[in-house]
Amino acid sequence: MSDATSLDRAGSQPAVRPAMLNRLRYALRVSMREPTTAIGIVIALVFTYLILAPIVTMLFQAVSVQFGDERRTAAEAGAGTLYYLNRTFFSAISTDLFWRPLLNTLTVAGSAIIVSMVVGIPLSWLVSRTDMLGRKWFATALIVPYMLPAWTFALAWTTLFKNRTVGGQPGWFEALGLTPPDWLAYGRVPITIILALHYAPFIILLFGSALRRFDSQLEDSARMLGARPHHVALQIILPLMRPALLSAIVLIFAKCLGEFGVPYVLGLPVKFEVLSTSLFRNLASRQTGVGAVIAGSIMALGVLTLLIDAKLVKEARRFVTIGSKGTMNRLTRLGVWRLPLTMFALLIFVISVCLPLLTLMLSTVMKQPANFAISNFTLDYWIGTNLETVALRTGILLSPDLWAAGWNTLWIVGSASIVSGVLGLLVGYVVVRTTWRPLSTFLRQVTFLPYLVPGIAFAAAYLSLFAVPRGPVPALYGTVTILILALMADQMPYASRAGISAMMQLGKDPEEAAQIAGAGWFRRMISIVIPIQKGSLVTGVLLPFISGIKGLSLFVILAVPSTDVLTTFSMRLVDYHYTQAANGVVLIIAAMAYFGTLAAQKLTKTNIAEGLGG
Amino acid sequence: MPTIELRDVQKSYGGQGANAVRDLNLEIGDGEFMCLLGPSGCGKTTTLRMIAGLENLSGGEIRVGDRLVDSINQGVFVAPEHRHMGLVFQSYALWPHLTIERNTDFGLRLRKVPKAEREQRVDAVMRVLDIEKYRHRYPSQLSGGQQQRVALARMLAVNPNVLLLDEPLSNLDARLRLEMRAELKALHAAFKTTIVFVTHDQWEAMTLATTIAVMNEGTLQQMGTPDDIYERPANRFVAEFVGSPPINIMELGSPELSERAFAMKKFLAEHFPSLAGVGSVGLRPEALHISEAGEPVPEKVFQVPGVVTGILPTGGNWILELQCGDGTLFLTTHEVPEVAVGTDVTVWAKPKSLHAFDSAGRRIEEADRLMRTPKKAVLTKAPKLKELAG
Repeated sequence: MSDATSLDRAGSQPAVRPAMLNRLRYALRVSMREPTTAIGIVIALVFTYLILAPIVTMLFQAVSVQFGDERRTAAEAGAGTLYYLNRTFFSAISTDLFWRPLLNTLTVAGSAIIVSMVVGIPLSWLVSRTDMLGRKWFATALIVPYMLPAWTFALAWTTLFKNRTVGGQPGWFEALGLTPPDWLAYGRVPITIILALHYAPFIILLFGSALRRFDSQLEDSARMLGARPHHVALQIILPLMRPALLSAIVLIFAKCLGEFGVPYVLGLPVKFEVLSTSLFRNLASRQTGVGAVIAGSIMALGVLTLLIDAKLVKEARRFVTIGSKGTMNRLTRLGVWRLPLTMFALLIFVISVCLPLLTLMLSTVMKQPANFAISNFTLDYWIGTNLETVALRTGILLSPDLWAAGWNTLWIVGSASIVSGVLGLLVGYVVVRTTWRPLSTFLRQVTFLPYLVPGIAFAAAYLSLFAVPRGPVPALYGTVTILILALMADQMPYASRAGISAMMQLGKDPEEAAQIAGAGWFRRMISIVIPIQKGSLVTGVLLPFISGIKGLSLFVILAVPSTDVLTTFSMRLVDYHYTQAANGVVLIIAAMAYFGTLAAQKLTKTNIAEGLGG
Repeated sequence: MPTIELRDVQKSYGGQGANAVRDLNLEIGDGEFMCLLGPSGCGKTTTLRMIAGLENLSGGEIRVGDRLVDSINQGVFVAPEHRHMGLVFQSYALWPHLTIERNTDFGLRLRKVPKAEREQRVDAVMRVLDIEKYRHRYPSQLSGGQQQRVALARMLAVNPNVLLLDEPLSNLDARLRLEMRAELKALHAAFKTTIVFVTHDQWEAMTLATTIAVMNEGTLQQMGTPDDIYERPANRFVAEFVGSPPINIMELGSPELSERAFAMKKFLAEHFPSLAGVGSVGLRPEALHISEAGEPVPEKVFQVPGVVTGILPTGGNWILELQCGDGTLFLTTHEVPEVAVGTDVTVWAKPKSLHAFDSAGRRIEEADRLMRTPKKAVLTKAPKLKELAG
């Protein structure tokens, strides 16, 4: 090769220049012609720092001596140790730290899944395949529980069932003289019921849409061969619906794993712990090492679930051919059952939406619980002044703390959502367009990673990386920056998925047509790609925004009073037993989430099902 | 105006598997209407995209006029936006957020053409394509045929050196397709632009092209006029790909000959004893004739007995299915068949309609010299001979 170069330099013939060099030059010219790959490399580095680094740091913390534990481990801080693993999994207190919370998590998730199936499967059938009354209305109404934060229901539950075990204002039943037993007031039973009602919409959405896509001709063929309706249901419909059902179950399980608010509100009074609350307690008491082990375990469970899901999805592909062309959807006539079954759906709606919201609403305008005398009603908790309380002496609407928290929510969640929406579209662009495959694969995987990590574990990971100064980066704990960064990273799976699918859908053609017409990269971005993707950009910002507003698990670990958002503010009020005020704040959040979702749907004409992951 | 020249062009999509395009040498003359024809996956769209610059080469070079636009060996690559070509996509790729007018003048705006001139050119091109009345609509409000016109107008507005068309008619219904074909031909005549057209539809290629390049599995099979391609297919692939119903092939190479092949072998040995190495013989359906069994047949023709097993009218034409021993022959005719299903017949064909291929499937030129009167060849070559003389 050096010979060839010298020959070239001697000026013999430009045509015999080393082929390798020219090949490289060609490749370079082709790839550097556009900034796509360069941009991709930059965002890949950003995500390595914002997603990969915190998780790795946290996993590392689980096996190295934490500051303050030198005596117990008889080793220097930072040295490798199995102390935390030992303590979490094998020591005398491992039962309390890990095993019982694990068992509780699994049983609660399991029973929540069963209950939500029992409720959700009939409902999804009613909504998608029958002539029940008000079918269209129910299709939206039954999804509402998922639009509201889960712990809204937890607070409603305590408002109704709280007993004398815990101080503060008693629940309505207690006030009426009917003391609810502990098992009904707190712990496993209410947590299971609430999670089941909150996640039943998953079944209705996923199972229902599979039912709708189901081709009636498949049913008809079975019937032509003499199968009775129950044969058709058991031997044709159910087996074909299995993939959709399984993936809904997996999704619910993964969500239950990271659920924090509900077990926190309802489990703590009776020391009923799940993994997420155990993690929270350990972090709150500065047991970072053990915390890291628990967070790692939650992550491992999450990964396991996702692996199972991936396998199921692969299996489900075998059924893809169904419902292809001749899809016909015929509604079953319910006949005499029409009214009773409609009432059943209505009952579920009342239990899962009306009752809790009404309870919360009433509780914020009543001085004493369950006293329905006119004199007991007041708007003091909303707009009162000079109240006779230790703190919060005004109604919440007049409290500067609420407005500060509201403002924080808006701009922290807002800016994180905007950044993640834009980054998501960029990721989508690079993933679809770059000619450099490894970059595309890496970006897709790294942005998906937070999906495997339940919010509370992800927050713990952020704490590990950013709680202390590292290199040029100062300690970020207690700042707004850490909240925005964590929130943004946590939302990347949805944002990047939205971006990738939007870019896939757009295809190359419109951009290539502009290229042929003479448009360079920036011109194409500004005149073609961004204007066409406006809609999906709006969705990519709005959906994370809504899920961010009602999100609790990230904030509860990373927020401090000065960076309170509405969710953590309401939790603090719960902790101090300002029941009415807490319920008021929760209602505000619920309203924001609900109307935000509606607005997003109207604005983008998208289906809520697509934003389901958020 | 430029010619487009592809030299030893290679394209592989990394990893394993056959190359998408192999050793492609192609020259497209100025003002030519060139069709790239082939089955799906033969590399024709890849070739078109490489000419446009949307696809990078893995080897070889592309030249437009005297400008080198793509070369691995010299490390040259001209970006698509600097090639001044037009490309009409199969999907049309109209920009959904821009009106028809803005779609059409996009390229002119980019080139900073002054407003007056821009409007004049947009008007002209819209008038030619009859889309003036939609100028303020959005693409989604137009039908497929109208969108197709806009896609064409968009590219014609900038007056490109070369117009590339990627199966632009495949999304249209049969009638519109016919209309657009005529329109494309008229446009070519009017604008005198070099057009490269990709299609898998042989009739489209036959009716539109001045030159057809048939491709298969990434390699060029034959390049020639539509007549050449049909009358003198260079190999078995071209012979079998072009024509419908497909050409009747008789395999002479296998140890166990079919009845037809045996008859053919006998015929060749008897009348063209000097011809050797024939692997197979093809006969176009319209080259076949039938006489009722026992009736006289012209002299010096290939003949084989058969039975009529099917008569399929196709509106003005008829396809006859003939059983000859263990095989089937297809015959087309535009005369009302005077036989019924079940009639015993003699199938015959004149030697000049035979296509002889060697065992590798290549056309045997020697056979043409022996069997065909040179009349036709002289006719097509005549203008060129005159040029030479001049």
